[in-house]
Amino acid sequence: MNRSQLIEELRHVVGPTGVVADPVALMTYDADGCVMDTGEPQVVVLPTSAEQVSAVVRLAARYGAPIVPRGAGTGLAGGATPIGGGIVVSTARMDRVLEIDARNGRVLCQPGVINWELSQLLKPYGYQFAPDPSSQKACTVGGNIANNAGGPHCLKYGITSSHVLGVQMVLPDGSIIWTGDGNPAPVGYDLTGVITGSEGTIGLVTAAWLRLTRLPEAVRVVLALFPDIAGASASVSQVIASGFLPAALEIMDRLAIKAVNDMYKLGLPEQAGAALLIEVDGVDDGLDELLADITAVCWRNGAIDVRPARTPAEQNQVWAARKNAFGAMGRLAPTYYLVDTVVPRTRLPYTMEQVGRISQEYRLPIANVFHAGDGNLHPIILFDRRDRSQNQRALEAATGVMHVSIEQGGVISGEHGIGVEKQDYMTLLFSTDDLAAMAGLHQSFDPYDLFNPGKVFPKGRGCGELAALRKAGVAWSELKTR
Amino acid sequence: MLPAALTRQLVEIVGPERISEETAPFAVHGRSPALVISPSSVEQVARAVAACHAARVPLAPWGGGTRQRWGRPIAAETFVVLRTSGLQAILMHEPDDLTISVEAGMTFAALDAALAAHNQMLPLDPPRPALSTIGGLLASGADGPRRLAYGTSRDLLIGIRVVEATGRISKAGGMVVKNVSGFDMMKLYLGSLGTLAIIVSANFKLMPRPRAAASLSCFFEQPERAFRLITALSASQLIPAAVEYREDGTTASIEVRIEGLPAAVERHVRDVRRLAEEAGAGSVSVVAEGLAAVEERWADFNDAPQTVDLAADELVARLSCLPGALEAALGDVRARAAREGLLLRVQARALSGVAYLRLRGSDEHLRAWHAAILARWPQLVVIGAQPALAAELPVWGAGIANLDLMRRIKQEFDPENLLNPGRYVV
Repeated sequence: MNRSQLIEELRHVVGPTGVVADPVALMTYDADGCVMDTGEPQVVVLPTSAEQVSAVVRLAARYGAPIVPRGAGTGLAGGATPIGGGIVVSTARMDRVLEIDARNGRVLCQPGVINWELSQLLKPYGYQFAPDPSSQKACTVGGNIANNAGGPHCLKYGITSSHVLGVQMVLPDGSIIWTGDGNPAPVGYDLTGVITGSEGTIGLVTAAWLRLTRLPEAVRVVLALFPDIAGASASVSQVIASGFLPAALEIMDRLAIKAVNDMYKLGLPEQAGAALLIEVDGVDDGLDELLADITAVCWRNGAIDVRPARTPAEQNQVWAARKNAFGAMGRLAPTYYLVDTVVPRTRLPYTMEQVGRISQEYRLPIANVFHAGDGNLHPIILFDRRDRSQNQRALEAATGVMHVSIEQGGVISGEHGIGVEKQDYMTLLFSTDDLAAMAGLHQSFDPYDLFNPGKVFPKGRGCGELAALRKAGVAWSELKTR
Repeated sequence: MLPAALTRQLVEIVGPERISEETAPFAVHGRSPALVISPSSVEQVARAVAACHAARVPLAPWGGGTRQRWGRPIAAETFVVLRTSGLQAILMHEPDDLTISVEAGMTFAALDAALAAHNQMLPLDPPRPALSTIGGLLASGADGPRRLAYGTSRDLLIGIRVVEATGRISKAGGMVVKNVSGFDMMKLYLGSLGTLAIIVSANFKLMPRPRAAASLSCFFEQPERAFRLITALSASQLIPAAVEYREDGTTASIEVRIEGLPAAVERHVRDVRRLAEEAGAGSVSVVAEGLAAVEERWADFNDAPQTVDLAADELVARLSCLPGALEAALGDVRARAAREGLLLRVQARALSGVAYLRLRGSDEHLRAWHAAILARWPQLVVIGAQPALAAELPVWGAGIANLDLMRRIKQEFDPENLLNPGRYVV
């Protein structure tokens, strides 16, 4: 590939300020939030429209350079990491909210719009965009769509795919399609549905109609404190089994509390081994009874205190502590590895016990901050990356968590995606036939493996059938081994 | 005629008692299959599909047969109907996890009964639940009135197992409520009318049955007033389970289903009543209280899109549009029906923008009505008509986007075009 010629042509498409080619600047783009793997892109391009993206994609095909889509780079599975080089296409300059259509319950956004800013913008209208990943102050809606992102409130409101009505996408052949506009009964295969969560491997979303969710009339938040994580986990299992429908059920364990307590002035007692954040919402009527029922479950499971967050300010403080807990981990260790798996809710107490065992076995502290109501674990393995032994043990501990989760009937990712981080664990969950079906879908969109090649599907050998189906990927083998 | 070798093979796979040559009741748009088979296991389905694939004989998957009027006629002279009636097991139900895995041939009523024993529900509200199967419900992607509160099968389906066109068995998703491990293949099969693969089992996340429920009927002399209530409900922070607009001749009503915590239900009854009166309702009454009474009341409403019983001069259509356009769409539907002298009954998911229309009259007038409405409202899908009329109308509506891409998907999953050939959009 003639890199300088490619850069020149890209400049022609997006203008000189839309191309990053300086080697130092390119280093910013060598990974996303998952720093286990890195790769240097040939060039980064920041288009401002679908037409520009289309032109970039056509150029990429001509030059034989893969496209790696990138939102804010907050992903935790390496989905935006240019592992085989190529052209990173950043959506940072496509950051406008184009239309708020409250009457039809929809909002039209460009992909680079930041999740939090969207919800702030919608607030005066009485609406929100329901998916609220912990990274929401930085992450983009395009990234949310690519990863089918979650967040604490998807317990009640559902994951991103329930909130995407239709997308504009640039396909690997450079064509621009729209998959929907909010019509509630679209005819034809559900392209919107299969695009959501496809991790940038079949095209790049350049605009989306998102569903508006009415803000609830009333919200109540309480923190229930437990001596240990067992009581908190058991409470969550029982709350779900009893058929209560909270808006969020989030657990922080002792280490996580330690990390956020001072930072957010939560004033939680040291004997608290776990905090369960409970939120209920809806019309005001009945909410107190619902909360009383839920806290009764907590008391029965050994809660030592139940603290209501009475004012919106107090509620925001509690939520800020929860959502920024990952950042606060820097107070405990130089590096952390956040594992994302899901188990059936009844298996939470046992699984958390096993996470404790894994922590001991690999001699690494593990903090837990997670979406307990969904059974979505987030063990945070604390280690020092500079220590090779710790590095290795962190990886093995993460694998241990995945094995335990699968044994308990769970899966390897609840909301972060597969990317490169978990691609080789896909075979723990899926047969070759299962993977081949996914590969078939992939091939329908991207037969030449132009978009985000080498992600999601396992790298491993011995998947003959799958490899045959994905034979087009060979076209990039040269790049990959460079 | 079916190749004799294939018949022998199918007999061997499913057993002689699970093969029937009484094929008339399984006609698709008036065309009878050559054979009807009812495999009793997923493996049998897979082997039977593989045998048909090898012989290049098309298949029409068949659940309860309640939505076989959907779609275009099957594009094959000779085909086999594959019933899922032999697949009725609950594979896994962990009540405390609020998840269930069931085989595709299970009827919705059987599933509902099993869930009721645990005070749980799958609020999809299909018409004719005693006949309607899980597989058919998913393959047709049908919605129900309570999509307003709980979503459709798109939101509640968490895992799936299918038999692909070649007989290969594959699965996606899992038994957890949140999962991004791999592509969301559930979305691909949902609503694909059995043209990509045959659904053999499905996993759902469940909802607890509500502690309290009520149903209100609000009658209006003019549709415009009914739409005032719809607008008010849409702007409010109330969260009714379902809001259905009904119109039959000269009367219009809005049926509001409310469920949840007792205090919240009371509050909703109060507020909906007030909003209805402000909108100019002629009368407002609580017609049912308690879950059992509400369910009984709503069985009829759930049945509105049914096409099992279809009069000889009847056409059933689904018109979908943005919710804000529903009033205008129904205005056009009504005016044109009057002009053609057609009897019209309407039931619409008022806050979602999906209307089910039942019209009666001569073919000539139905045709004229259809052409006029389709020209203005392209998302007009004919889901029930007599075979001759269904064969002639563009039943999937007009202006369907991205057909090239859909063709590539169909080509990838069913390159020989053996699964329900010709019946869906590509």
